[in-house]
Amino acid sequence: MHPASTPAANTPTTRGRRTPFRRHRLLRGLAAVAVALPLAFGAAACGGNDEPTDPNAPVELSIFWWGGEARAKLTEEALALYTKKHPNVTFKKTWQANQGYFDKLATLTAGGEPPDLFQIDDNYLTEYASRNTTLDLMPYKDSGKLDVSKFPESLWQYGVVDGKLAGVAFGENTQGMVYNKTLLARNGLPEPRTGMSWDELITWAESVSKKTKVPGTMDPSADYKAFWVWLRQQGKDLYQGKELGFTAEDVTRWFELWKGARDRGATPTPDVIHEGNATDITKQLVVTGKAATSFVWANQMPELKKNTKDELGVVAYPGDPGAQWARASMYFSVFRGSKHKDVAVDVINFLANDPEAGRILGTDRGLPSNLDVRKAVAEAVTDPAMKASIAVENELTAKFGKSPQVPLKGHSKVRSELIKAAENAQFGRQSPAQAAAAFVEACRAAIA
Amino acid sequence: MALTTTPNPTPSADGTAAAPATPRGSSRVRQREGLAGYVFLSPWLIGLMAITAIPMLLSLYLSFTNYDVLTPWSEVEWVGLAHYERMFTSDPSYWHAVSVTLSFALIAVPLKLAAALGVALLLNRAWRGVGLFRGLFYLPSLLGGSVALAIVWVNMFNRDGAFNSFLSLFGIEGKPWVNDPDWALETLMVLAIWQFGAPMVIFLAGLKQVPTELYEAASVDGAGTWRQFVNVTLPMLSPVIFFNLVLETINGFQGFTAAFVLSNGTGGPVDSTLMYTLNLYITGFTELEMGYASAMAWVFLLAIALITIALFSTGRFWVHYSDGEDR
Repeated sequence: MHPASTPAANTPTTRGRRTPFRRHRLLRGLAAVAVALPLAFGAAACGGNDEPTDPNAPVELSIFWWGGEARAKLTEEALALYTKKHPNVTFKKTWQANQGYFDKLATLTAGGEPPDLFQIDDNYLTEYASRNTTLDLMPYKDSGKLDVSKFPESLWQYGVVDGKLAGVAFGENTQGMVYNKTLLARNGLPEPRTGMSWDELITWAESVSKKTKVPGTMDPSADYKAFWVWLRQQGKDLYQGKELGFTAEDVTRWFELWKGARDRGATPTPDVIHEGNATDITKQLVVTGKAATSFVWANQMPELKKNTKDELGVVAYPGDPGAQWARASMYFSVFRGSKHKDVAVDVINFLANDPEAGRILGTDRGLPSNLDVRKAVAEAVTDPAMKASIAVENELTAKFGKSPQVPLKGHSKVRSELIKAAENAQFGRQSPAQAAAAFVEACRAAIA
Repeated sequence: MALTTTPNPTPSADGTAAAPATPRGSSRVRQREGLAGYVFLSPWLIGLMAITAIPMLLSLYLSFTNYDVLTPWSEVEWVGLAHYERMFTSDPSYWHAVSVTLSFALIAVPLKLAAALGVALLLNRAWRGVGLFRGLFYLPSLLGGSVALAIVWVNMFNRDGAFNSFLSLFGIEGKPWVNDPDWALETLMVLAIWQFGAPMVIFLAGLKQVPTELYEAASVDGAGTWRQFVNVTLPMLSPVIFFNLVLETINGFQGFTAAFVLSNGTGGPVDSTLMYTLNLYITGFTELEMGYASAMAWVFLLAIALITIALFSTGRFWVHYSDGEDR
């Protein structure tokens, strides 16, 4: 009824404050605690470097990832296989949906008890790496304890931040535009293809809207990855060193492109676009039936397919597909303060390179990083949605451009600011130029 | 949070209240009694210390640092008043959140109290089955700030939600209420107003306390229903109105859950539901600027305390405590 719901004011740490209470020492005690606690936490976070010397001593590793139930099942199975081979190693597994995952991970870290192993993506890798939360895996790679020799070069390097290997790429994916095959076939409309220009897409989408009454394409102006690909096609980039790789004029052109599309009826109304701007897969317009395309990652095809009866297809984003790149869909990182660093690295090595583990994990996290495993998995796959995403990735591999740098600290703010600016333009509250100027200013502050 | 410990503004049994007369004994006896008192209080005190007071003090400390959640405490840097300065001089989204929160509280709280009082007046009559209605009207506030309720609300006020189907019965074309930046906050206000059960029950209890002689006397003097309401009910009820006003204002400012759920934790569409607490949460946990978020929390605490003090100081002019006069 009266929720005490201002969570951030309570510091997320809860350990170690059982101070014996004495009336007249209250104030002095409080002051002492306020001084001592930070020290205690600092010490806790720095300590814990004692590896057990006995290789067979029982070890329990905590591991944390985001994902759906399917991923949980596969991951648990692969971890069980590791335990079978190393009976002394067991796992404390925690997983949850993507929304709220990074809040939880940050809270666990602040509480001094982050998991030994955790899944992370390029939105947060720099945040964690630049604060030395992740273990530098470079020495393990150099000593061969962590084998990335079968990875594409650019893929494992996408885990390098400031010269340190902060995470091991756990799957490769790329941008994919997913479309509703069934809807197009029913209306005798052509399917979009890789290499069509943005203008061609919008013209095509306009005809889809007219014929089917379903808006032809999602308006991805709020979508950082679509914006990013488009920028690269203009010879720009999202980041350039420690600066932004684009100007307000670029953003204005991007917003105007989609304003034009809206005026032609190629995209849904702003409130529907807003629904589609959620990162939640189940809310993507192509599966909720509110648009004929959605802009996603190609490896999300199987998850999307689970949410609709219609057949789906996937192609590259419009424009030159050379602007796309092989992106690490996510990484596994080791907490720098873990008590069992060597074992944790060995588990990552196993999950990434063991053929049997690779077969179990499939393409759930993207195409397997290890090319041998990838080949074996691709041959064994039966799920048509997974097949389609593998096909488009393989087709694009030859065309991929150079990977951009790992996003800067503040990237998540940049993403949310893009959504705000694009929606301001979509709802007509600001002109594209005004929204673009506000966006650039907010980005500069975010990455400063 | 800490506000639950504000002095209870309910009318005390007598005007003087406070200080129960303690027998004057030797100082040792008094000391021992005092100690016993603290022992009996200890479960609550320990909870207060561990869960509220110490974390609050730590957050005060953090508000002067650049603590970012991930960096160990031993490495945080003292930044002095930088966060407070930034808040007041160069953070437009902070002021946007302040204005969203103010408009939410200024509109939703009075309307909620009016609804609560109105329904309480209706339910104060001796109708058949009035107990059932009391229960039914109270029900929504039992659900409180629950996530489930907020999800239901989002689905009800979607473009294809139940509310728009209802409107279409009358040939009215609805709007995508929760996804429209012009309406999302209003949808949250309606949710808050709908949960008027708690103040309603308190109003009902207050209405029962109004002596019937006053109404009889008033009607003998020829006062109609409206005059009776204005000249008898309202003054007699003013302490209860005051109590509800203070509590609901504090609550209104703290609204978080519904805004969080409705906007997927973003404060969207276009920041229209970016309540103060949500902005604070995003700053602390998504953008990892926990030092800045702590500063926001402290400004928030002070602002609510000031507003509460302001309410108390106006109370002198319109809150009427009848008890004292009889003695």
